[in-house]
Amino acid sequence: MYKNKKAGIIGIIITILILIIIVIFSNGDNNTSFLENAISNIVMPVQNGLTYLKNKLSGNSTFFADINNLKEENKKLEEENSKLEQSLRELETIKAENNTLKEYLNLTEKYGEYKTVPGYVINKDISNYSKIIVINIGKKEGIEENMTVIADEGLVGHVISVTDNTAKVQLIIDTASSVSCSMSTQDSIVCKGTLDDNSTLKAMYLPTELNIIQGDNIVTSGLGGIYPKGIHVGTIRKVENTKNITDRYALVDTAVDFNKLNTVLVITNK
Amino acid sequence: MKKTIINAILILTILIVYYLQANFFNWFTISGIMPNLFIILVLFIGLFSNKIMGIVYGLIIGVILDLLLSAKFGIYTIGLGTIAILAGVYEKNFSKDSRITIMVMVFTSTIIFEIIAYILNYVLVGINIEILNFVKILLVEGIYNLILTIIIYPLFQKAGYYIENEYKGNKILTRYF
Repeated sequence: MYKNKKAGIIGIIITILILIIIVIFSNGDNNTSFLENAISNIVMPVQNGLTYLKNKLSGNSTFFADINNLKEENKKLEEENSKLEQSLRELETIKAENNTLKEYLNLTEKYGEYKTVPGYVINKDISNYSKIIVINIGKKEGIEENMTVIADEGLVGHVISVTDNTAKVQLIIDTASSVSCSMSTQDSIVCKGTLDDNSTLKAMYLPTELNIIQGDNIVTSGLGGIYPKGIHVGTIRKVENTKNITDRYALVDTAVDFNKLNTVLVITNK
Repeated sequence: MKKTIINAILILTILIVYYLQANFFNWFTISGIMPNLFIILVLFIGLFSNKIMGIVYGLIIGVILDLLLSAKFGIYTIGLGTIAILAGVYEKNFSKDSRITIMVMVFTSTIIFEIIAYILNYVLVGINIEILNFVKILLVEGIYNLILTIIIYPLFQKAGYYIENEYKGNKILTRYF
């Protein structure tokens, strides 16, 4: 027990403060923005109320004076709107053209062709090693083991076990996960998860004669039987050269931000 | 009656710890590394109640976590079971009156739990071994748990002796003679 109660409480408060400082500084910008959010959430309602009051009081006199301005503005906006509509039509023609061109290039396999079921992330593994999430859809929605899970930006992982209402998904950043991928040059590589951080994959088994371009897009190659072909995985950040060229590896930035992953899509057909 | 209340409170504590671990400490991390409150909780139960109760709680929490979150069954069950046994060993050999001993106990338990969990992950799931990153996680997690122990120590101590009185009764006096 603390000999002096007051000193004990001060000690605990200091420890909490030190912990908060460590957490903020060790995580860079992420947490400061979170703190900003937290503070603004507390302050905003009051601020909103005050602003509303202020506007109410000062707005009455300017109301009639504004009508003419508003008419002018409306006219301008109408003009702008018609212009935008025109460009939208143009864009649609370009889109259709683009699709036909893609068909020519045999790139018809797109996300739109997969049947997907949307789900929410309801839980995350509490361990520092395994990166597993639990989603709120299961057998009842037709989810089975080994189905591919994607998000808007790209590949998320695959289902490892299912219950009636939930499914566990192993993320591609898990150290037990490896994904067969291909680059724009059609060379195949293997992307593995690392313990390092939540947005990096290690691309291994690079062919010795391979020229790697920084920022090159990585997509799944369809080998291995779990992930279908052509799903975006990420982009190459840099290549780490080692003494032995066969050991060199590349670091890949994942397309999906796993820290902010909330909704996913499970591909139910391949 | 008192024992029932103690158990009810312990179960409530498990829920609170689970909530904290899954939500709060998911973003309140030291360079992306979370603490593990379950280790502290199981150690606490093992230290202040009796050995059997510690192991039962360790195993139950382990099974629940394995079913809910883990890739393969057994990682948390074996890990937390070991921590409960370890708590029994600590209880026999060390005094619980000093904050430093409790801190050392938490730190070593965290290290032991994480090593067991990592080995089990390697054997059962087949993760790639990355020694340097593993050691980094191990140390940061240990230190994080240690800092949390400093913060919750008064509560730890008070609640602990309350439970100990209930479960061990007069035997507690033998420590002072």
